[in-house]
Amino acid sequence: MSATAPAYTIPRRSVVGEEAEWCKMFDPPTDSPATPELLAPTNPVPAFIAANVPGAKNTVPNTIRRDLMHGTDLTMYDGKKVRFFTFSDPDVPATGGGVWPGPTIRAPRGVVFHGESSAGGPPPHTIHWHGIEPTPMNDGVGHCSMEIGSYTYQFQPNFIGTYFYHCHRNTMQHFEFGLYGMLLVEPPDAFSGAPAVAGGYPRRTAANLANFPQFPGFVAGDLAGGDPHAYTVPYAAEALWVLDDVDSVWRDKMANAKATFPSHGLLNPGVDDQFFKGDFHDFNPDYFFVTGVPFPAPVGSTVSCAPNVVVPAHLNSGVTGMQVSVNAQVNQTVLVRVLNASYVTIRVRFPVDVVIIAFDGRALGVPPFAQYNHAFLLPAGTSYELSTARRFDVLMRSSTPVNSFATVEFRHNQKNDSLLLNGLIPVTIS
Amino acid sequence: MKRRDFLKYGAGSMAALVVGSEMPWLMESRAYAAFQTPTLDLTMTDAMKEMVTHNPTNDARCYFWIYKSNTPNLLPECPGPTIFTTEGDIVTITLRNALDEPHAFYIPGIFDSKAIAPGATATFRFRALRAGTYLYYDNLNAPVNRVMGLHGALVVMPSAAHTGHKITPYTVPSPAVQQLFDDFGSSSHWPGLSWEQGDPGSDTPAFRQYVWVCHQASPVLFSEVGNYTPGADYPAAQFINYFMNDAYADTFNTGVFNRKPHFFTISGQSGHFVHNNPYLCPNHRVGEPALVRVLNAGLYTHSMHIHANHVFVTAINGVSQPNPLWVDTMTLHPLDVWDWTVPFMRPPDVPNVRGIGRADTPLTTISGHPAWPPLEELETFFPPVGTLSGGLVGVDISVQLSPLCYPMHDHSETSQGAQGGNYNCGLISGIVFTGDRNTPGGVTTFPNAPAEHGPEGTGPAAG
Repeated sequence: MSATAPAYTIPRRSVVGEEAEWCKMFDPPTDSPATPELLAPTNPVPAFIAANVPGAKNTVPNTIRRDLMHGTDLTMYDGKKVRFFTFSDPDVPATGGGVWPGPTIRAPRGVVFHGESSAGGPPPHTIHWHGIEPTPMNDGVGHCSMEIGSYTYQFQPNFIGTYFYHCHRNTMQHFEFGLYGMLLVEPPDAFSGAPAVAGGYPRRTAANLANFPQFPGFVAGDLAGGDPHAYTVPYAAEALWVLDDVDSVWRDKMANAKATFPSHGLLNPGVDDQFFKGDFHDFNPDYFFVTGVPFPAPVGSTVSCAPNVVVPAHLNSGVTGMQVSVNAQVNQTVLVRVLNASYVTIRVRFPVDVVIIAFDGRALGVPPFAQYNHAFLLPAGTSYELSTARRFDVLMRSSTPVNSFATVEFRHNQKNDSLLLNGLIPVTIS
Repeated sequence: MKRRDFLKYGAGSMAALVVGSEMPWLMESRAYAAFQTPTLDLTMTDAMKEMVTHNPTNDARCYFWIYKSNTPNLLPECPGPTIFTTEGDIVTITLRNALDEPHAFYIPGIFDSKAIAPGATATFRFRALRAGTYLYYDNLNAPVNRVMGLHGALVVMPSAAHTGHKITPYTVPSPAVQQLFDDFGSSSHWPGLSWEQGDPGSDTPAFRQYVWVCHQASPVLFSEVGNYTPGADYPAAQFINYFMNDAYADTFNTGVFNRKPHFFTISGQSGHFVHNNPYLCPNHRVGEPALVRVLNAGLYTHSMHIHANHVFVTAINGVSQPNPLWVDTMTLHPLDVWDWTVPFMRPPDVPNVRGIGRADTPLTTISGHPAWPPLEELETFFPPVGTLSGGLVGVDISVQLSPLCYPMHDHSETSQGAQGGNYNCGLISGIVFTGDRNTPGGVTTFPNAPAEHGPEGTGPAAG
């Protein structure tokens, strides 16, 4: 027995009769359709941004806009220039050239959300709202509906929590090259207060903390009966940890977004299709980040990101004060939202006890699903592992000062979880 | 679907062997081409497989070692056949080793054949006592023999429900998992059928379940193993090192691949052949909860992301979860086996009256229709009807957005291509909503919902 004389051959599957589905899988049609089942949007946040972010406007009422994509060369800590693909918000001039990560979208639960997307230049794009579960056209996956010239995505974000949006075209390249941003769903009244309240802290998020009385202000209440604060807890400070990595060889050698796109056959789909060979199966990251802030050291290092990084309001739906590194006061409730946007596995550990209150935009233990799971304690120094695209939300609150770091281990998911980098994120509670 | 049709579809790869107690629910399910067999009769042999993603001049092939069923005589495939049995049943298995080295058949915690010499045949009996999902594989020269393709899935079904409860997939369900399965079909938030319930009138099988055996295939390395000195084991440490750390090769400019894997499969198929295959892609109505059993036979960790419904992780490596998380993405380590329980609830962010993620009365659109079911969207075609692939002589490649189609994919996206590119020809499946049991007026079936189909034919066409 050998590879040159095997006992059997396993022949290719035919696509006869399925040419349409076959072609669409790798070469989805581009289109600019009207939104089906169109509703009037009710999202108050675009007007809030226009009123509170200098220079911003609200072109389409109640509608968030995103333009993709922009190519941007960013300089790494060691001076190397690396190509990124980015989103901009056409209504916020400060994002005009595209920013990475994309501007954070905040939306109240239960609104009719419209996201107007425009895409310039080849290749086509989509926006997928990861964790949001609408109809297929609004899910933004090319082969399940269409890729966009321009399109208004419509959904109603119905679970409070942490989500993100990203281009779902040639995702192995476009997501790795930076075409993503955060999408945070907040309680229904998050933007109904005065600007100073709606644009700052404290804010609330979903949780069931019946077993964790150390977090004051938790409200049980009647979600089904319309209580906007039912099963939410207030937090005084918020940190966003989006962990990412970069393979600079990919960026150098495969910056052409179309190079490895197959195309379906001119005459006989499934027969004279055009396929190409590339390098996207071989991923070797060499730069690491948290929310766009570098861990400035090579593979194998233990290194801190910069302290005192605050996300500006124009990149955060007009909300001022969201942090990357944590600065808080004793006995303040701090919400940390963690997303693994890298292609490897991360292990996160905190310098203090934290309570994990949600995964993937589903708060643990919230009725009527309360009997299936519950929030739980992650003791100080204990790792929790997240593979790509997983999120969790944790609450921390310390009655004593802390001057330490959280640690994020990047571990290669294709190399036996071997350690790539220890990233340290400052946590200061005073 | 008639029994005769099962046999036809059994000619394809997704054949299931049912050994021991009868499983009429499975035999009648269109999700499997199932064969009742008194004993397992497997040969350990090899095959050259034509892989996804190619045109006529593209030599996309990979060599595998496989478990092949002799009786019934199933076509060769990697992975081996999915084996169903019932907790407590005694399974008789005959193993023939047609390869050049010692090989084995191993199920963690259940059975170990130990080494079977080249050319030898041996018969064993084992009994699975705990219901759940298992990976069977050759544990010799680990991980080489397993990763070369000697693996498959064993599903052990429960024999009965616990008194006063509905059936779960587990012998000892955690209280939370038992509650979840009790609530399907019996609570206001999970209206429809329970897992154990089918509905012949709407062509709905009971115990809806799917098996995804994930794998990474390296044509260069696997051929190197296949052509190694007959009778000698390929060094396992070298195999691992090449699989994970082989020197970067600039395939894009040269077409020369290194020894890292560049085909990624779910139950032996990639891209279209998983996503549009009703044996592999869960396809049910709202209100028809289903189980997806996910296994990793390879050496890479995947991050499986499903669209349209968050899913409950109800078991991990044989343990019914005391705190089953409700997630859209889950980590799948090498050798991991876990179960996703898919509620098949209405995609909860479709606009409705209360906006709390329930199957409420849908909002009314500007054009005066309910937003759910999304009739305008269901009637849309992309590209438009009449779009011909090759001008006047081509075939119509329009696709209707009905039933509602969503993907499931590895979000560690390097596994989503084939041959280092060709996005969407890798580790991807899907979830399809074929209707809704809970619409006003009763059970709705969306246009074009498949009663049965599948890319079962083979031939010279690429694909």
